[in-house]
Amino acid sequence: MKLLLKTVAIAGMALLLGAGTAQAQSKDKVVLLLNWYLYSEHAPFFLGKERGYYDQEGIDLDIQEGRGSGVSVQAVAANTATFGYVDIATMIKAAAKGAPVKAIGVALQLSPMSVMGFADKNIRTPKDIVGKTVAVTPGDSMSQIWPLFLKKTGLNESEFKTVSGDAQTKLNAVMNGQADLLLGYVMDQAIKLQDATHRAVHPIRFADYGVNLISSGIIANTATLKDKPDMVRRFLRATTKAMEESEKNPEAAVDAMLKANPKAGVRETLIIGLKQTTALYHTKETAKQRPLRVSMANVAESLDLLAQYGGLDPATKGKAEDWVTLDYLP
Amino acid sequence: MAVARSWLRRGLESQIARPLLLIVALFVLWELVIRVFRIPPYLIPAPLAVAKMLVAEWPRLWQNGLFTAYATLGGFALSIIIGIPIAMVIAYSRLVESYVYPLLVFSQSVPKIAIAPLFVVWFGFGIFPKVISAFMLGFFPVVVATVMGFKSIEPDMIDLARSMRASRWQMFVKFSLPQALPSIFSGLKISATLAVVGAVVGEFVGSNSGIGYVLQIANGNFDLPLMFAGLFVLSMMGVILFALVDLAEKLMIPWHQSRRPDAMGATA
Repeated sequence: MKLLLKTVAIAGMALLLGAGTAQAQSKDKVVLLLNWYLYSEHAPFFLGKERGYYDQEGIDLDIQEGRGSGVSVQAVAANTATFGYVDIATMIKAAAKGAPVKAIGVALQLSPMSVMGFADKNIRTPKDIVGKTVAVTPGDSMSQIWPLFLKKTGLNESEFKTVSGDAQTKLNAVMNGQADLLLGYVMDQAIKLQDATHRAVHPIRFADYGVNLISSGIIANTATLKDKPDMVRRFLRATTKAMEESEKNPEAAVDAMLKANPKAGVRETLIIGLKQTTALYHTKETAKQRPLRVSMANVAESLDLLAQYGGLDPATKGKAEDWVTLDYLP
Repeated sequence: MAVARSWLRRGLESQIARPLLLIVALFVLWELVIRVFRIPPYLIPAPLAVAKMLVAEWPRLWQNGLFTAYATLGGFALSIIIGIPIAMVIAYSRLVESYVYPLLVFSQSVPKIAIAPLFVVWFGFGIFPKVISAFMLGFFPVVVATVMGFKSIEPDMIDLARSMRASRWQMFVKFSLPQALPSIFSGLKISATLAVVGAVVGEFVGSNSGIGYVLQIANGNFDLPLMFAGLFVLSMMGVILFALVDLAEKLMIPWHQSRRPDAMGATA
């Protein structure tokens, strides 16, 4: 009896001390699996965590680094991770093969894809690529869209040399002069090259030549969407807020990420990278909208590109709504 | 009827049929597991889909497989040419052994996948970095097995040879080498399969062709049947190389215990 009283008293005190303790028990444990090792693009999630946006929504967020979008998609499909922050084009290809995943928000609505080299090599327009050597990673999303960029810019694959290798080899090749250019993201590889060599990098953006493909976004398992719609909404509310704050205050977002993981990169260049990332958050149509709210026309265009060039079987192409839903966004 | 049955029995018990039967059984099990547990094709492909892909993409797999085969053979050849002489020196000189052997073990503990990107930096995008990568994986088993082989010669045998006034060369050719060969061959067999892995590691980090290149593309498109077909080609490459070493062993040391027909019969 005494014990019971004691228990009741403690429970009462806990209640009095604040809802915080009670909330901690009922908080949803959520694993967010990223597309890659940490770089500038991921800072908003850390800002949201540090500022308690996720806590306030009753979400206990665990951010995990990834080893490529493909693997992250498979992990979400197998329910190993709750959400994935991945290349949506890659997700669509997996979903078209039957993976039960769906995009619930598209962060990068303008493509960060570019072909880049050191600025002192004076490669400024697609024409300058002629006679140069380009490093690509076979099978990745950029190498698959690359032929379309060439077509749109009137280049021919025989007019330059191509070398292939994995992500690290691409960087090494350009740094050591084995290649003049590489296919990479403006806020990822460009920063890495600059950090490593202290030489300016000039990217030629695919989007500037009419090749735009939606890029990173948030995905979830379709079962999660059905069973825990409320949790998904709360997660997206917090994430939207974190992204808005990162647009306004990239320094704070980068600091939050560096606090969580000091090895994430160099502060100054990460801030530049994050600014370049948030610049891709909106297209003209979605300029007035909150982050993650992609225009379905944009998705549909990307689908067309994927079916034509990106290794998506046209028979399983489907409609934009089959792969992306905005129903859970604030 | 009885004749047919005995023929069937002999067929089933032959050396080649046994692993094939096991493979068939494994394939059936694989297909069954996928059907029973409803494993979706984006996680593991069905064996039939892999077989179809193997047929449909054969020209491409063959062409890229050749490239990988050259790199593998190059690495394997280097393993023999460099590994065996080093091992012999180590086996015959305690001084060299104390200097070199620990270093070799140390070098072997370095994960090759971590330094493979540097091979591209140092040696470029051609076939050479793949050969080096295959060599790095393949040569250590050769060295260890060869050292063991040359050291395992019995002192009595050496005494015998000395008492017969054998020259150093004779001692080597008539006593040491025959003693060491079985061990060397078992090292070569391990090396053969590892060389295939090494070549593909080299291709992963930087290559315009080869099975490693095909695997990368298949991975990017979630084309698991193509990926498994590529893996199958690689495995076959390992099996064939292994079989060739086995054949060489048969021809060079027919006298060894493991090669005697009665020994085979006893273990079969």
